[in-house]
Amino acid sequence: MPGVGLLCRLGSRLLTGGRHVPALVAAETGVGNRGLWRVIARHIVDNATWWDEHLSEENCKFLKNLTTEEFKAQTASKLCPLKDEPWPLHHWEPGSKRIGVVALKLGMMPLWTKAGERLPVTMLRVQDCHVLKYIPKEECDGKNPFIIVGGKNVSPFHKSPSQLELYRAIGIPPKQKMTTFKVSDNAIIKPGTPLYAAHFRPGQYVDITAKTIGKGFQGVMKRWGFKGQPATHGQTKTHRRPGAISNTKVARVFKGKKMPGQMGNRFRTVRGLKVWRVSVKHNIIYVNGTVPGHTNCLVKVTDSNLRAYRDYSKNLPFPTYFADGEEELADELYDEEVFQFTEPSIAYT
Amino acid sequence: MTKVPNLSSQTTSLRSIKFDSSGPPCREEHFTHVYLLLKKRLPFIVMAASCRKVWEMRGACRRFFSVSGFLNCKDGQPAKFKPPPKPVIIDETKPLAAERRFLSPEFIPPRERTHPFKFYLERRDMIQRRKVLNIPEFYVGSILSVTTADPYASGKRSTFVGLCIQRSGKGLGATFILRNIIEGQGVEVCFELYSPLVQEIKLLKLEKRLDDNLMYLRDALPEYSTVDVNMMPVPIPADEVPVNKMKVKMKPRPWSKHWEHPKFNIQGINFDFFLTDEDKKKVEEWSMPWREFDMMIEYDTSKIEKEIWEEVNAELKK
Repeated sequence: MPGVGLLCRLGSRLLTGGRHVPALVAAETGVGNRGLWRVIARHIVDNATWWDEHLSEENCKFLKNLTTEEFKAQTASKLCPLKDEPWPLHHWEPGSKRIGVVALKLGMMPLWTKAGERLPVTMLRVQDCHVLKYIPKEECDGKNPFIIVGGKNVSPFHKSPSQLELYRAIGIPPKQKMTTFKVSDNAIIKPGTPLYAAHFRPGQYVDITAKTIGKGFQGVMKRWGFKGQPATHGQTKTHRRPGAISNTKVARVFKGKKMPGQMGNRFRTVRGLKVWRVSVKHNIIYVNGTVPGHTNCLVKVTDSNLRAYRDYSKNLPFPTYFADGEEELADELYDEEVFQFTEPSIAYT
Repeated sequence: MTKVPNLSSQTTSLRSIKFDSSGPPCREEHFTHVYLLLKKRLPFIVMAASCRKVWEMRGACRRFFSVSGFLNCKDGQPAKFKPPPKPVIIDETKPLAAERRFLSPEFIPPRERTHPFKFYLERRDMIQRRKVLNIPEFYVGSILSVTTADPYASGKRSTFVGLCIQRSGKGLGATFILRNIIEGQGVEVCFELYSPLVQEIKLLKLEKRLDDNLMYLRDALPEYSTVDVNMMPVPIPADEVPVNKMKVKMKPRPWSKHWEHPKFNIQGINFDFFLTDEDKKKVEEWSMPWREFDMMIEYDTSKIEKEIWEEVNAELKK
């Protein structure tokens, strides 16, 4: 059977080369008259080419330059979306829910409080984050409108035509990640609006969703922290096994029983992480503690949905922070408790 | 005069001579002429100072030396011999301690897939902190005195003097470990370099060792990690950082780690005294001769280091 594929490939070469050959090929390959064409077609579809495979080096360079310039022009034109027919801005009410952003996880670093306590902090960079689409609530669940947000520009050459159509309609470069946010009626934002790190403010709490690092199929000790069995004392082939999974009286295994299986590589949300610092200039959010996902992965950041922090967004920019708005911010925003590196050393009295 | 033109090419390697404050005032650049003539005859300068003939050869030089002391007095009686001022030789070719090109190791980013922008952001904060707190140049093997804020200490401050045995961490989270023996008890304190609790870092002795990590001092005789708590700072050498090539005497085995293992590559212990022939055979088994040819292990930071040093230096001078 493997020979068939090889012959088909040969056939496809010949077919593309000239139309007069197929009869000969069919006779040679001996696949029969059972649709040699179909086989060849499948083969061609699977064998995707690089976008620059048939381009000269100069052309490739030219296209790359063209796209980057185009991206820049597009983002620049979207910097002031309020200028052409801005959507009406509403005020915060109890129960309002703001949009979130898509951010890049840069890595971790320490910060210190003014009491001298060390804080592990994750740096999230809000990079090329734009509102892509507004879906009115009639078209989704009927309760809340949805807003699709995209983050981090990528090459258009690896996107499908249907996706590119969406971006072309808005006039925004293609994005690596798209996420949906449920917002309240008064917090809708016009597609094309850029989102910034200053959307979040120091002192507030956020929820972060991302795909965790994949660990593959793992046993019960690593996945659930079971104790396993001793190494010696007469153990036969029983060191890392789960042990009993139920009893005879129940005579079945309960649903949700902790067992071996795929670990990681699934979306997880950590809730209630405090924002310690925001860099308005560089678009960085410094969030307390660890965040799911590997470095350089794209995470979804929203205002915390925990009951304790739900009404916190009262004092935050609503519906979002506009770069051309009236609000003037310092380059770096710090929480009150955080030690700023320009201050003198902490001395206890 | 004939010698001057062919010596002009060597002006870069000129030494300037400064006199003690007791001597007559002089400016070092005026001496370049003199020295050009008397190149490679340094002791001759001192001799020349006592000999008038030589100075009359180049009259321009006379104004820098007060020759009155060497001439006869008013009475015509020979004056008592006054020794000429002692020249202090400063080599301009070698940079001063402050001008030494030194980049703290935590500035060099680790080899990772992390975006370089992340390290730039950390660097920004590190520079801000360095503007407030003076962090001196130091190495593993240097002796430091660190003062930190401590809510439980009397005076709310505590000072620790010790030998730096390890520097670790990159970026803002960089740390260093000081070791000392206090009242017969080995003490190690790990300090965060950029922690706001650090009040002062004082360099008592600038020195390097043969190794980049002195953790083996835990298994060495205590005198090798004992530092006088009331130690006075040793003047910092102007030119290169001195390397202490001391070999350490160890306690009898077993040690906390197999320091003889080639992965530690320790130069500061003479293992001949501590290993039997059997042990040496084992060490040979452990050896990994292919590692020196492993190109994946190489991490050439010279280029990054240069760029970062320029960036950091420019920021610190602002």
